[in-house]
Amino acid sequence: MSSPVSAPDALAPDFLKLVGVSKTFGNHRVLDKIDLAVSEGEVLVIIGPSGSGKSTLLRCINFIAAPDEGEVIFQGHSWKAMSSKYNFLANRKYEQKLTVLRSEIGMVFQNFNVFPHMTAAQNVMLGLTKVRKQSKDNARKAAVEALSQVGLAEKVDQYPEKLSGGQKQRVAIARALALQPKVMLFDEATSSLDPELVNGILEEIRRLAKAGMTMVVVTHEMNFAFQVAHRIVFMDQGRIVEIGTPDQIRKTTEPRTRSFLSAILN
Amino acid sequence: MNSYKFDWAVIDKYLPELLKGLWITLEVSLVGMAIALIFGLLLAMGRLSPLRLTRSVANGITQVFRSIPLFVMLFWVYYGLSLKFHVLFTEFQAGALALGITGGAYMAEVFRGGLLAVDPGQREAAMAMGISKSTTFFHVIFPQALRVVVPPSVNVYVGLLKGATIVSVIGVSDMIYVAQYVSLQTFTPFELYSVAGIVFVALTVSISGFAWMLERRLGRGRSE
Amino acid sequence: MNSAQPFFDFTSVWSSMPILLKGFAIAMACATVAIIIAILLGLIVALMRLSRVKILRWIAFIYTQFFRGIPLYVLIIWVYFGLAIAAGVNLPAIPAGIITLALLNSGYLSETFRSGILAVNKGQIEAGMALGLSRRNVMLHIVLPQAFRVIIPPLGNQYVDAIKDTAILSIIGVPELMRESKALANLYYRPFEFYTFAGLLYLFAVLVVSRGVSVLEKKLSAHSAQTTVIIDVLN
Ligand SMILES: Nc1ncnc2c1ncn2[C@@H]1O[C@H](COP(=O)(O)OP(=O)(O)OP(=O)(O)O)[C@@H](O)[C@H]1O
Ligand SMILES: [Mg+2]
Repeated sequence: MSSPVSAPDALAPDFLKLVGVSKTFGNHRVLDKIDLAVSEGEVLVIIGPSGSGKSTLLRCINFIAAPDEGEVIFQGHSWKAMSSKYNFLANRKYEQKLTVLRSEIGMVFQNFNVFPHMTAAQNVMLGLTKVRKQSKDNARKAAVEALSQVGLAEKVDQYPEKLSGGQKQRVAIARALALQPKVMLFDEATSSLDPELVNGILEEIRRLAKAGMTMVVVTHEMNFAFQVAHRIVFMDQGRIVEIGTPDQIRKTTEPRTRSFLSAILN
Repeated sequence: MNSYKFDWAVIDKYLPELLKGLWITLEVSLVGMAIALIFGLLLAMGRLSPLRLTRSVANGITQVFRSIPLFVMLFWVYYGLSLKFHVLFTEFQAGALALGITGGAYMAEVFRGGLLAVDPGQREAAMAMGISKSTTFFHVIFPQALRVVVPPSVNVYVGLLKGATIVSVIGVSDMIYVAQYVSLQTFTPFELYSVAGIVFVALTVSISGFAWMLERRLGRGRSE
Repeated sequence: MNSAQPFFDFTSVWSSMPILLKGFAIAMACATVAIIIAILLGLIVALMRLSRVKILRWIAFIYTQFFRGIPLYVLIIWVYFGLAIAAGVNLPAIPAGIITLALLNSGYLSETFRSGILAVNKGQIEAGMALGLSRRNVMLHIVLPQAFRVIIPPLGNQYVDAIKDTAILSIIGVPELMRESKALANLYYRPFEFYTFAGLLYLFAVLVVSRGVSVLEKKLSAHSAQTTVIIDVLN
């Protein structure tokens, strides 16, 4: 597997770039001036101890949690936190614009977050009809197609309650993919799954990687990470400690990365 | 055209009477609450009784009295009961009794919840230590149930206090009654009712706020 | 006691049945219309309380406190005999009664809705946002439908309360069950019988509504795996 390494400070029109992204909750600086560039087709895996800010970083990429400082550059367009905190109308307008960014970036969560009051198909159709403004019929066709892709052709009209964890996560993946995003974010997509279901979901991610999808993946599955990643990012206490190819990370001399890896690999 | 003349001076003038009326509302509601506590405890014990018949009867009574509007209950007691059985209730007694019956049905629910909330393991633990049954009840069960019971009881009381405002319809000279009476002479119903309304809102909101605080306080040491 | 008259005598109740049932129907109609208006108002107030705009939150908070704090009887007298007279408007009794009832119930319902909305898992909102849905669509298609399930039991209780509260509308002359019962009780001098019967009709309505609510609840909870976060919305 090739490893297209791109420097975070490159001036090239990066596909997806974070510049000086910071986020603070109360007086806890969860992200501290993160610089990171992802090129098109790259699979970037983020690892790090609990509480190091991995989820927050992902959520800043699609502004589910708006960064306090810094900007996110996506396909040449810069997105920043709304500065006019007290201008309600401006905020609303910006919020509306953000939906464009979000609809281009798919996200899959640790605890699935499928909509329990909707069938699998309806889960997928919601974005298609409300965001992509497709007709119900077309959306339904696309939803069935997307669900079949993840092996849920038989479960199209089931409510999530009737699905296993793995199947729920597949619905969530199909739901995100149906919008044909340019980037996919995975936040510990297998962490709440029973062990026997983990591989199925990892297989889906692998399939996407093969198809050339740009992805940022947070995971604790190190074997998987070493196999699929072009580059691995090690985070600790809101900072990027180290970025490198799987080989570089495996042989790293950086003490924090090493101790994390030895803890997790045992 | 509108010819209403505002005159807020009446409030100043009749404030003592209005407050006296408020005091009567408080009295009726407190006596009603006392009846509700006793009646509610009896109903709750009936509902937890090992005897099936007792349980069904207590459940039925609770359901019925919770479902009948207080207003209907008031008339039923004051006119219906007294005429049928020739007991001459005063207006005050009828009001307190109606509040007590309705409130009792609500309190039955509260007490039942409180008694059920105490973990049976607590009783067993106390008994295992050789503590007597009555000591167990008063020192182990009761204090724990009390924590669960007090905040919703205050809420039931707020309900009764609000309900108590209707006793003026049978002639109890409470605040609304005074306001009605005075406005007949002064033609200033807006001023009088506004003040009555504000006083009640202030009263109920502060008691509810108190209940809310109590709930947070008592809730603290609850889940160990 | 007049021995010619039986102790319990429901014949006059029986013969007045059409009037009583009509009163009952009016009571139910008032409660139903009022609760529908209250649902809309309550929802608006709940959304205001959850708004990012501070002043809206404050207005909604005061609204809620006021209408939860004021006794219906005091409010209705204030509206009908105070406000209407001071403003010089001639309020018809039924609309006045319905509006008062609706305002009062909207105060309670706004709290119910607010806690129902807050009970929806935050991940659901994030998932909706991640799809690129607007805030409005997230609220409309994801949050409210899920909140609705949690809200059904307290909503049912509120409807029951509204039905019971219609009895107070008799004060301003709404020809509902209690008003008719009072008139007939005086006419036949049979208060015990008439008020007992009125009580039974209210009981009947309450039982029917409670039953309907629990059926609806069962039906809806058929598929709601992720909404098991039971938050105390009953307060
Ligand atoms: N909404 C929030 N409010 C306050 N603190 C938050 C919030 N979200 C995250 N945090 C804090 O930010 C820190 C980083 O959280 P984050 O979820 O990004 O970590 P993580 O690396 O994803 O951890 P994990 O591996 O456990 O998922 C944590 O200390 C967390 O408590
Ligand atoms: Mg995380």
